[in-house]
Amino acid sequence: MIRGLWSRETVAMVLLAAYLPLGLFWLWLGGVDAIGRLGLSALVVAFWHLVFMLARAQAPSLAALITAFAIAMLAPEDLGVFRLALGISFGVVMGELVFGGWGRNVVNPATVALAFLGFGFPSFAWPIFDAPVAWAAIPAALIGVLTGALSAALLGGAGAVALIALAAGLLPQDALLVSGIVLVLLVADPVTSAATHLGRWINGALYASLVVLFATNWTGAAPVQIAVAAALLSSLAAPLLDEKVLALWIYQRRRRHGRT
Amino acid sequence: MAAQLNVWRTLTDPLIRQNPVTLQILGICSALAVTTTLATALTMSISLTVVLTLAAGVISMIRRHIPDTIRLIVQIVIVASLVIVIDQILRAYFAEISRALSVYVGLITTNCLVLGRTESYARHHAPIPAMVDALGNGLGYSLILIVIGGLRELFGKGALFGTQVFPLAETGGWFTPLSLMLLAPSAFFLLGLLVWAVRSFWSEQVEAPEHTPPLRVEPAE
Repeated sequence: MIRGLWSRETVAMVLLAAYLPLGLFWLWLGGVDAIGRLGLSALVVAFWHLVFMLARAQAPSLAALITAFAIAMLAPEDLGVFRLALGISFGVVMGELVFGGWGRNVVNPATVALAFLGFGFPSFAWPIFDAPVAWAAIPAALIGVLTGALSAALLGGAGAVALIALAAGLLPQDALLVSGIVLVLLVADPVTSAATHLGRWINGALYASLVVLFATNWTGAAPVQIAVAAALLSSLAAPLLDEKVLALWIYQRRRRHGRT
Repeated sequence: MAAQLNVWRTLTDPLIRQNPVTLQILGICSALAVTTTLATALTMSISLTVVLTLAAGVISMIRRHIPDTIRLIVQIVIVASLVIVIDQILRAYFAEISRALSVYVGLITTNCLVLGRTESYARHHAPIPAMVDALGNGLGYSLILIVIGGLRELFGKGALFGTQVFPLAETGGWFTPLSLMLLAPSAFFLLGLLVWAVRSFWSEQVEAPEHTPPLRVEPAE
């Protein structure tokens, strides 16, 4: 990699490029309704980025588009403009912007917004995805891994657990498809997932295990709800995983070399 | 001990400038638990204010006789007996609200706000200033509880004190309740937002930053 090429915005642009196949497929199948949702959430996210730029001099990021896309795609349906705007505002402000903008947040703003909408308005139905949209997550993951924006270890960890669960017959088809989309869109986000190599494997495996756990034991939950809850919990656990992996590394170095 | 008592400052300082909840982050447990409706929040505020004021008065009166080594036990015994009295009164006259508050009235005994004021102020001041300070802190706590309780009931049920303010969508109105508001996390969020709002208006309350961000961000390799 060329030194000086990679800044925060480069990562955001590469991520956007990676999500392009997923987004185009979704827009193609969703039609005017999908375009309207994407436009609305992009507008709300952009508004808050603008507010924080003017009030706190926080540089806005292209990642706003990724957040808007993830929310538009996964948010419960028929919420109406006001509720959707409220949920997005909460997620973007409390999940990302108060911490200092994209790159400093602990949880993915889209995950926060989706969890807020899910818990706050439980009577609205979660979206259902056709298989082609879910398959489009695979090229997205490939582009992300090849350019280095998405972690191969994280996807590998999740994939390994998913394969075991599939072999054991624990993972239903619809949960598998949706959790794949959520894995690529929310869990693999380079900011809020684990940053160490082993931590990424565990992070992915943890996400997939949570999905399996919820899919088998959470009765009456929609697939998207399961995946979003698992994404929220695994991104909250990511700093802990990093901490433990670093502690393990320090311990091993001390045993081998007698010092850190 | 302050040579001259400034009653007004002692009373109004804890309302916002030295607010026990938003500045000192004391008494959070009950502030989060009892604010689902305005009625419970108000009852809890009154109970705590009464207990705090009386306890501060009693402890301040015997402050020269409390041995230092067992002062916490003495304070807790005094606070606990006052709490029992309040709890009995609530059960006798406000049975409904008393059931809604469940253990939280009893837990005023261990509320860090009460012990904090008796330990740090009432033990060193004469009864009148101690009670004024306690009343001010109780009112500061009440202010936050009532604001949060009002917001949660208004947006969670569209009501205030049990009377419908916003017409509900189920009965032909326009308001769909935010059921998240009735869950505990929303109290956390509201309290956080409130602290944020208070600290952006009174910027002297902002804590010093623990880290200084680098001036120029070096692009990674």
